[in-house]
Amino acid sequence: MKIVGVAACTVGIAHTYIAQEKLETAGKKRGHEIQIETQGTIGVENELTQKQIDEADIVILAVDVKIAGRERFEGKRIIQVSTEIAVKSPNKLIEKAEQVVNAQK
Amino acid sequence: MSAIKKLNLKGHLLTAISYLIPIVCGAGFVIAIGMAFGGNSGADLTQEFTFWDALAKMGAGALGLLPAVISTGIAYSIASKPGIAPGFIIGLTANAVGAGFIGGIIGGFVAGYLAVAIIKYLKVPSWAKGLMPTLIVPFLTSLIGGLFMVYVIGLPVAAFTSWLTNALNSLGTSSLLIFGAVIGLLSGVDFGGPINKTVFAFVLTMQTEGINEPITALQLVNTATPIGFGLAYFIAKMFGKNIYTRSEVETLKSAVPMGVVNIVEGVIPIVMNDIVRCVTAVAIGGAAGGAVTMVLGADATVPFGGVLMLPTMSKPLAGALAIIVNVVVTGLALALLKKNVKEDEQVEVEEEDIDLDDIQII
Repeated sequence: MKIVGVAACTVGIAHTYIAQEKLETAGKKRGHEIQIETQGTIGVENELTQKQIDEADIVILAVDVKIAGRERFEGKRIIQVSTEIAVKSPNKLIEKAEQVVNAQK
Repeated sequence: MSAIKKLNLKGHLLTAISYLIPIVCGAGFVIAIGMAFGGNSGADLTQEFTFWDALAKMGAGALGLLPAVISTGIAYSIASKPGIAPGFIIGLTANAVGAGFIGGIIGGFVAGYLAVAIIKYLKVPSWAKGLMPTLIVPFLTSLIGGLFMVYVIGLPVAAFTSWLTNALNSLGTSSLLIFGAVIGLLSGVDFGGPINKTVFAFVLTMQTEGINEPITALQLVNTATPIGFGLAYFIAKMFGKNIYTRSEVETLKSAVPMGVVNIVEGVIPIVMNDIVRCVTAVAIGGAAGGAVTMVLGADATVPFGGVLMLPTMSKPLAGALAIIVNVVVTGLALALLKKNVKEDEQVEVEEEDIDLDDIQII
C-alpha cells in the first residue's frame, strides 16, 4: 500500500528526522511505498506532492506541534501520533496502519 | 478528561515553544557573547556604546519580548493566522502588567480561543466580510483579551510569580540540592523532548523574574550530557570495554561539539539504541550537575549558550564545576552501565507496544 506522512517535533532538529527515517525504513521493510515529509526548524523537506497524497491509502502524522499544510490531507484516513511513538515503535505503527486500511475495505 | 485532551493544551504550548527556541538560542548566543566580553545589556544605544554593549542589548531586547513570543505562538497554534495579532498584543500586555512568561502563556490561550470564537459566532453582513479579518477579529480579541489580562489575570499571576520568587530565594541548602537535582534529572531524561521543554518554560519564567540558577542548572545539564557521552567512550576504553558501535562514534563527533554550545539533541540517535541504560546514566549525571549548580549558586544571566554562559555568571567557577561533575558522573555511569559491543554490531531493539490512547485515527 501507499503511505504518506509528516514528522514534526518541538525543537525540529532531531526527533523529526529520526521519526522520518524509522517510519520509512519500517514501511519499506513491509513492502510499502512510503514517504514522510519533515517539518523541522529548517522548514519543509522531502515535500509530498499532491499526487502522492491523492494516491495514498493512509496518512501517518507523527507530530508534536501544529504542522503547515494540514488541509492537504482533508478527507483522507489519518493516523496521528506523537513523534515519540513513531521513534519507539515504528514497525508496530505501520502494522496499525495496515489494520486501519484493511478494516476500511 | 477527553474534553481537555481535545483542547490539546500541551500541543499548542509545544508549538509555541518550537517557535520560541530559535529566538532564545539566537538572542541568547548574541547576549552571551556580548556579556562575556563585558557588554552591558542595559546600554543606551543612542548614546555612546561599545561593540559588546550592542551585542548584549540586541539579545536582551529579544529576550525581554519572550512573553509576547510565547503568546503569539500559542494563539497562532489555536487560531492560525487570525491568532497572530491578538496573541502579540495580549502578550505585550502581559509584559506590561508584570505577569511575565506565565501571563504570556495564559494570554496566548485567551487570544487564540477568543479569535476562534469570534470567527465562529459573530455573524456580519456580507458588506463587512472584508473587515472581519483586518479589523473586527483583531480589534475585538485584543480589546477583550487585553482588558481581561489587565484587570483579571494580571494581579494574581504577578502575585504568584513574586511569591514563587520569594519562596525560591529562601530555600535552604538541602532544598536547593533537591530542587537542582530534580531540574537536572527532568531536563536530562528526554534529551530535549517535551519534558525538557516544559521544564525549560518553567525555569525561563523564573529567569524573567531574576532567578537565574534554575535555568542555569537546566542548560548546564544540556551542555554536559553530550560531553559525558564523549567522555564515556574514553573511560570505557580504560576498562578495556567498547560501548559504542562505529556509527555511534561517528554520531558522537558531531554530538559533542553541539553539546558544548548547549544543544543536547545530537546524542538522541545513540540513546535510541539503548534507551534504559542511557537515560539512567543521564538522569544520575543530570541530577548531580543540577544539584551542584543550585547549591553553589551558578547564575548565568542568559538563557542559552552552553560554555558561553560561564562568563556571564557571578561565580563562573561554580558553573564550570557543575559541568565537570555532570560530565564525569554521566560518563562514568555510561561506561559502567552500557554493555560491551562490537564496533560493527547492528543493534536491534525490542519495540514497545503502542497504547491505543496514544494514537488518534481520523
